[in-house]
Amino acid sequence: MLEASHLHFCISNKAIVKQASFRVEAGELVALLGPNGAGKSTLFKLLSGEAVCKHGEVLYNGKNIQGYKSSQLASIRAVMPQSSQLSFPFTAKEVVEMGLTMARSSSVTQIVEEVMQLTQTFAFRNAQYHHLSGGEKQRVQLARVLTQIWEKQPYTRYLLLDEPTSSMDIAQQQHVLKIVKGLKDRNIGILAILHDLNLAASYADRVILFKNGNLFAQGITAEVMTSQHLGEVFDHPIQVITNKERGSLMIHPVPQLNKKLFNYHTA
Amino acid sequence: MLAISNKVSKNRLRVLVLASLGIGLMGVLMLSSTQGAYPIPMLQVVAILLDQVGIAIGQFDSQQANVFLQLRLPRILLAMLVGAGLGISGAALQGLFRNPLVEPGLIGVSSGGALFAVLYIVFGSYFPILARVAGNLGLPFFAFLGGLINVFLVYRLASQAGKTDIALLILAGVALNALCGALIGLSIFYADDAALRNFTFWSLGDVGGANWTKVGIGSLFIGLPALVLTSQHKQLNALAIGESEAFHLGVSVQKVKYMVLLLSALMVGVGVSMTGAIGFVGLVVPHLIRLLFGADHRLVLPASILLGALLLSFADLLARIIVMPAEMPIGIITAIIGSPFFIGLIMNVKTIKKA
Repeated sequence: MLEASHLHFCISNKAIVKQASFRVEAGELVALLGPNGAGKSTLFKLLSGEAVCKHGEVLYNGKNIQGYKSSQLASIRAVMPQSSQLSFPFTAKEVVEMGLTMARSSSVTQIVEEVMQLTQTFAFRNAQYHHLSGGEKQRVQLARVLTQIWEKQPYTRYLLLDEPTSSMDIAQQQHVLKIVKGLKDRNIGILAILHDLNLAASYADRVILFKNGNLFAQGITAEVMTSQHLGEVFDHPIQVITNKERGSLMIHPVPQLNKKLFNYHTA
Repeated sequence: MLAISNKVSKNRLRVLVLASLGIGLMGVLMLSSTQGAYPIPMLQVVAILLDQVGIAIGQFDSQQANVFLQLRLPRILLAMLVGAGLGISGAALQGLFRNPLVEPGLIGVSSGGALFAVLYIVFGSYFPILARVAGNLGLPFFAFLGGLINVFLVYRLASQAGKTDIALLILAGVALNALCGALIGLSIFYADDAALRNFTFWSLGDVGGANWTKVGIGSLFIGLPALVLTSQHKQLNALAIGESEAFHLGVSVQKVKYMVLLLSALMVGVGVSMTGAIGFVGLVVPHLIRLLFGADHRLVLPASILLGALLLSFADLLARIIVMPAEMPIGIITAIIGSPFFIGLIMNVKTIKKA
């Protein structure tokens, strides 16, 4: 279990994360949602171990994150940041292989090929990473992150994703979330920051709503993603429609065409 | 990257490249052994070498043996060691700073080493105990210290939250180079006659002042660290995606950072203390390797050692035969080759940034 308890984090005396306690269990996909500047990315850094929290603690499988060495941490959690800049001309395959930097696995070639097939990156494995499109780059990065936790292990692992589909088209987005959902069977718990509320509604088991550094609401997707909650968190009227045939939610931000953008004084 | 690297498997490519570079290095070594103001035929060179291990196969006179064993061989080996150190420290620093423009000379490692070497030469005589304790290691150690101080200063100045600002990096390098240059001038102002003679000897030293003691120091403080540094290929690869990403992948970023900075300062500083500052090798070498065979540090690091050694010993060969019987300072040769390359690089960076 990945557990965050009473996290409170300041940057130059301004509280970015005020109060956050939640859990990600093995085999569940949790979506972290909230408006820009809510503190999601900071929270993400606290969970990945990149930033250290003085107040509160982050526990991986019951052990404080600071008790892990970076190499140990790498074997129980993989992290995909929003974007990564590559400094030298590596090929797509070389980037994916980096996922196994600290691994002592004997089946490197097999893992890399399997994951690249799955993420549909195998076709351009020998292409320069720099020459790929935004969506392709993102899939290569996903493949890199997946190789890190691909080999089955007796202990629970975790995957942290920060907007993994931001540069992808609709088909790719669905494909990626299907892959991520498939990880649940491999004893992996997933926490994903998502911008697309519909993606979250169709794939997440649980949802955490974050606003102004505070945990606004958390719970089972259908219970948390209500018009009232979402409208309050995003400061915009949002309609949540239940599709009765499929039993799924549809999230619809209501356009406010009548509202003036600005009071013109010069008109 | 060349088309061949896609067809041949990566492991075979690595073996192939390293083997060819090794053979090339041996070639330069042999050519270099025979050429110079005092030519020694190949057969005699082989005979002299075999004689050293107790096999007598041919005739040579003692003058040939003396020139070869006492003057030429140590100088060739020293050039190779210094070149190897510059090559791999360039490759590792570029990897660490995540920037292809970084070079030990450009970011002030060399000038820091030079400054402290000069300080030791000029003011060392005031502390006779220093020379007694340190002996032959005093000069290399001080040069290492100077390089280390500068590399840490540059790193502190140009890096913020794991990102290195290239503009700040170059500016910091320019500032430190200027400061070190000025301080070197100032120290010479205070130098007495003996120190001045020593300094002149050192600054013109090139690889001409080579002897077996220097080769020994070089093997220990350049050769060994270079080999140690090749073990960091996975870590440097991971750093290419970013410092936080490398941490996520399990790399202890801080450890790699200190290791690369320390060992680079050691190799460059010791090199500078023995041959003076030699520019551009650290820039050109890793670049050629990346351009030709890709960016994987598993190949880039060892190949930079070999190509650096090859390039500097070749430059030394040119330096000895261009203006025979006089010698041209080796730094002039490397700069003549390196500067146009650097300009080409800057023009290329524009296209890289667009991609």
